[in-house]
Amino acid sequence: MNAEAFRATGRVAGKRLPRMDGIGKVIGKHVYAADFTLPGMLYGRVLRSNKPHARIVKIDTSRAKAMPGVRTVITAADIPAVRYGQAVRDAPVFALDRVLFYGHAIAAVAATTLEIAEQALAAIDVELEDLPAVYDPEEALTNAILVHPDWQDFKVLPILVRDGNMTARTRMITGDADAAFANAYRVYEHRFKTALQHPGYTEPRASVADWDANGNVTVWTNTQLPFDTQTTLSEILDLPVSRVRVIVPGIGGGFGGKLRIGVEHYAALLARNTARPVRVLSTSEEELIAATPRQSAVVHLKTAVDRDGKLLGRQGRIIVDCGAFAGSGPAMASVSLQVLAGPYRNGTLALEGIAVYTNKVPAGSFRAPAGPMANFAVESQMDIIAEDLGIDPLELRLRNIVHEGDKGPSGEELKSVSVEECLRKAAAAIGWHDRKPAPGRGKGIACSWWMTTGGSSGVYVKIDPDGTATLVSGAVEIGTAALTGASQVLAEALSLDLDDIKVAGVDTQTSPYDYGAQGSRTAFSVGNACLAAAADLRQQLFELAAKQWNITTDGMELRDKQVIAGNKTIAIAELARLSRLSGGGLIAHGTANSPGPAFDPGRVENHMLPAWNTPSFHAQAADLSVDSETGAVSINRYVVAQDVGFAINPTYIEGQIEGGVSQGIGQALSEEIVYQNGRVMNANLTDYKMPTAMDVPEIECILVQSASAAGPFGAKGVGEPPCIHPPAALANAIAAATGARMHSLPMTAEKIVKELRSARE
Amino acid sequence: MSFDLHRPNTMAEAIGLAARLGPAARYIAGGTDLVVQINRGRATPQHVIDISHLADLRHDIVQTADGFSLGALTRYRNIERHPAFQDALKLLPEAASVVGGVQVRNIASIGGNIINASPAADFVPALLALDAELDIQGAAGRRSESLRDFILGPGKTGLQAGEILAAVRFKPLPAHSATAFLKEGRRKAMEISVVCVAASLTLDASGKTCLAARIAVGAVAPKAYRAAAAEAALAGLPADTASFRLAGQLAAEQAAPISDVRASAEHRHHLVSVLVQRALETCRQRIAGA
Repeated sequence: MNAEAFRATGRVAGKRLPRMDGIGKVIGKHVYAADFTLPGMLYGRVLRSNKPHARIVKIDTSRAKAMPGVRTVITAADIPAVRYGQAVRDAPVFALDRVLFYGHAIAAVAATTLEIAEQALAAIDVELEDLPAVYDPEEALTNAILVHPDWQDFKVLPILVRDGNMTARTRMITGDADAAFANAYRVYEHRFKTALQHPGYTEPRASVADWDANGNVTVWTNTQLPFDTQTTLSEILDLPVSRVRVIVPGIGGGFGGKLRIGVEHYAALLARNTARPVRVLSTSEEELIAATPRQSAVVHLKTAVDRDGKLLGRQGRIIVDCGAFAGSGPAMASVSLQVLAGPYRNGTLALEGIAVYTNKVPAGSFRAPAGPMANFAVESQMDIIAEDLGIDPLELRLRNIVHEGDKGPSGEELKSVSVEECLRKAAAAIGWHDRKPAPGRGKGIACSWWMTTGGSSGVYVKIDPDGTATLVSGAVEIGTAALTGASQVLAEALSLDLDDIKVAGVDTQTSPYDYGAQGSRTAFSVGNACLAAAADLRQQLFELAAKQWNITTDGMELRDKQVIAGNKTIAIAELARLSRLSGGGLIAHGTANSPGPAFDPGRVENHMLPAWNTPSFHAQAADLSVDSETGAVSINRYVVAQDVGFAINPTYIEGQIEGGVSQGIGQALSEEIVYQNGRVMNANLTDYKMPTAMDVPEIECILVQSASAAGPFGAKGVGEPPCIHPPAALANAIAAATGARMHSLPMTAEKIVKELRSARE
Repeated sequence: MSFDLHRPNTMAEAIGLAARLGPAARYIAGGTDLVVQINRGRATPQHVIDISHLADLRHDIVQTADGFSLGALTRYRNIERHPAFQDALKLLPEAASVVGGVQVRNIASIGGNIINASPAADFVPALLALDAELDIQGAAGRRSESLRDFILGPGKTGLQAGEILAAVRFKPLPAHSATAFLKEGRRKAMEISVVCVAASLTLDASGKTCLAARIAVGAVAPKAYRAAAAEAALAGLPADTASFRLAGQLAAEQAAPISDVRASAEHRHHLVSVLVQRALETCRQRIAGA
């Protein structure tokens, strides 16, 4: 009996059931990592550079160490010179001979109170000698100033092509783009820019570390990837993986900002030195100068079309600004190319993605990383082309979108293609026929596609003698209700109710492996693992029943919490009790993996994610008004039509869409970490402007359900796509409302006024 | 960051404590400015004197024969919802309702916001446009000072050592008057003004001619200012778009904004002229509709 044999009856999977962790979170009982404390705990703080690029002349910790209440002060000199990282191992725990960005960690302190720890930071004498720096990613490609003069010494993935500040270069090539451009009716060429955006999770990064008598360390932390954190900690601490235990008590939002190690290593190192538990909790300022915001990007995009607006080819280059360490930049330079290609029949492609170092904050993978930057460029340009050719922007898209069985940009076969349905539904809902209903009011649309990230998942499912089940997963519930979704899948398959399922917390010592809460994969992949475990349990139940009744398992059914064979029935609870008598109880290990589709290696060069797993398709449409004098944008309506494959729980899918769009609206209109001469000018939540409830309209969600072959009951990844389109959809609506075409994010009122003025002059 | 917290019972006790503790002490009421400053290391008081519950420091809104008197502890939320401010004095709830979020407005006092003397304070221009007078209690007794003279610059006021701002008073508006408050920022709530404008306009009985205008502008100079040239020019002019546009231009000429992370000086200049014109137009419409 295999997992595919399960069918959704709509009894549990597909229903709007309340999330399992909801009440605890609402009444304040849920324990987040930032709530977690241990007896005798010390408080850790990190000293960060106040210069963007400087030689470390001297670090003197003696005054700080002598302060009453200070238990330890550590710097790079006190620990092995390990460099960690994903594609490029370039990041040390503390600055070595130089600080590379404003906010670079120089030292860490543990003290008996937070106040003493803060005073101790001020008592560390650091002498820094300014070095010339490079902040602009385009300049960094040609600049003589190297962020890492020793870049050739780093350990890297063999797929990477690097050169100085360029830490990755990747290409997607289809056909002869030069020839297509030479024969084009028209060629359009534009440059777009996007800004650094903080992931905006409510709970800052928080970790408590404690070492036991045997030299094992446990870290309680709000990571999205406990197993990745465990591995990185084992490298930094020079310990076998098994001696590092990571537990996730609860996590107050992550959005990709808590994928990689954040403050766990500081807590672990400080705890080792003091033999006391140590907590490190980021401040708002640290979040804005030294977390992992969404990379900023510069996109050059050239598109060739024929007389009817049919795409003949795209050429372009996206430059992803990694900041001082590569982080996810090389992967994002790769993924951005699929987004630049878009859900379109492009004819030919010649796209290049480049990841580059600058003396700024190391950036990372914020929700649909690389998605909004590339989509802002390609979908803005689609509207520019439509305007120029006198074709309706929706019509131009419909003439060029991909359809079932088409080839994707890597030559992979596209299945369950639903972009037309998404575009038509979003357009109909926003009232596309009346695109410019009044002066200063306009509507815009954008479409895209996105992957459901692969990686394997394991679960244990245990059935207790009362007939209920416990799901043990290594995947973190980061607030999306993904584990409620996976539990609905499990309950459906075992004929249980959602109330019959409990979810165990993540502990790397006891939880089966999971690739982590990232890439829109949790409900999808954990759901699949649950189906595999359910298939195994069902077989175990059938065999127990067969033994009890002395018959074969042929024709047995699992229904209404019991095994049924003809007119015989026996409750799951009873079988679970029987299993304890001889079989050690009912438990199953379910696993899932989602390999990528076959693709044409001749179409990609040095690409880290050449073909997307189970892609989803989507469109978003905005109706907004622009105050022509103040430039203020007011969004009247916002519609999302997103293909989710199968809506396991429509309520929380809508929640994901509402949240993602809100973050996208922030990126589009207001959010930006502002640098001036290498220093962050708005490292506080007064001047870093996430949208409020007053800025975000009601988000109208249309759930398109074009089933996938790979997901549980046909589901596709859901979490990331909603934040891809808002910058483009809003830019297109602003252009429809005012005629002003915005080329850089965020599209602030001031920029809009400026654009309107220059259009008048 | 540590300090001793004092909780006196009367203004006299508080003033006595402040005199004894000197510059190392700060008063606290709602704390929505002071606590942020302490957290960011911009204020380091060794003593904090809590005046939020003093028996003789008012937190109510009183209508007098001579206008209104607002106790210094009045919360923004009370101003927002006060029935007497929903018509001609609409600028008060308009300004009060855009200070921080609801939680902040439930605790922040109007007195604290005045004493904090932020150039971008939203409520200050509203009070300036009403020619507000302050009642100030000190060791030697009570004195009065106009709000216009009281605020000296960013974070600087005429408050003498130990003094407590006790109340804010303003006179009723003449007949055929209305007010309006407008603000622009990067987002629609929880926002520090890039520019804010408060206006009070009085027309003649026909509603066609401006008799008097009081225009206050915030966030574009070291302290909020009254647009004197614009006010003078409007007297006697027809209440129309051209006059209001002229007033906007004159008000903007008086601005001395900085460029910072919130907006450029150029954009602020532009917004002053737009918002002043709009505030006056709103006043005109309100008078016509009354």
